[in-house]
Amino acid sequence: MGMVFDGAPVAMRPEIQAALEQAWAELGAPGDWLDGATRLAVAAEARWAWGCDLCARQKAALTPYAVDGEHDQTGALPAAWIDVVHRLTRDSGRLTEAWLGRALAGGMAEDEFIEIVSVTVLTITIDAYLLGIGMAPPALPDPVAGAPPRQRAASAKPGPGWVATIAPEDVEPDFADFYANDSHFYIRRALTLLPAETRRMWALLNTLYLEDPRVHELDGLDRAISRAQMEFLAARASALLGCYY
Amino acid sequence: MRLRVSGQDTGDTYDLDAVSGDATGAMSIPAGGPLNAFAEAICGRDLDAIAGARQAVVDSLGEAAMVDAAAVIAGFNAYPRIADATGIPLEDAKQAATAALRAELGLDALNQSAE
Repeated sequence: MGMVFDGAPVAMRPEIQAALEQAWAELGAPGDWLDGATRLAVAAEARWAWGCDLCARQKAALTPYAVDGEHDQTGALPAAWIDVVHRLTRDSGRLTEAWLGRALAGGMAEDEFIEIVSVTVLTITIDAYLLGIGMAPPALPDPVAGAPPRQRAASAKPGPGWVATIAPEDVEPDFADFYANDSHFYIRRALTLLPAETRRMWALLNTLYLEDPRVHELDGLDRAISRAQMEFLAARASALLGCYY
Repeated sequence: MRLRVSGQDTGDTYDLDAVSGDATGAMSIPAGGPLNAFAEAICGRDLDAIAGARQAVVDSLGEAAMVDAAAVIAGFNAYPRIADATGIPLEDAKQAATAALRAELGLDALNQSAE
């Protein structure tokens, strides 16, 4: 079977292509709480959200919470899920804890919310990279049959943000390596309510940016731009999304 | 914060205020203008602008640099969304380390819109 990203118009680092191929294949496979077909429905909704009129009006408003209406949608997901996917795609910088509370009250488990976030973000991230290098994002993969385990991580506790996470001091042996080398940054912890999904996300992010941003400059890493250029792009992209984390 | 650290490591000085504004100049980052336009086009999903911005980065820095720039921009389409969807705060040490910078840039005023 040919690789999905062999058709890229430019040469990419092999580890990025490998991570993309893996992420793409996993997008349609059973996750921690969602089956493959549902994950693909979330991914399709994330793509659809870029053309949503309500999202555009909310984005342009002083506050998105003053703009009512219905999202343009694929029709494959419950309303609460659609709002999570669309807001995360189009206006993530103004999400609030109250918004999350309404999403959960509207019909999703906290664990499902995390997987919806992860699948949405993976889709956006892969598409952003491909559009950047000049490759049209491919059609979504076929779903892989199978049921997700849907087992709550016993060691997860509320915080440090709005959702439960696994703290480094509570981690089970089969997930301890994720926090190796004192890489306890809260951002790495954010999705750990779903350990397997967390690994899927970071397998891609580690190749796109840096596995350990604490390295001195690039410290021997093979990049065609400088560390300062990387950090400028990182800061600028964050600011454009309204994120000041 | 890491841009500032990089500047300290290399002895370069960067206009950090330019990062958070609506329109940035080239700052003192090599090819800062084209890189900024590339980031704006991708983050804004501006399909018409991406091709031109991509070519400008290629012209300035080469194709390999463009590919690596796209990777960083894509990665930072993820980190902010993960942080903002889950309400992840800054670690205490980073809060302390960036207090002056955040005040200088007025970032604390931008955290989370009211409903």
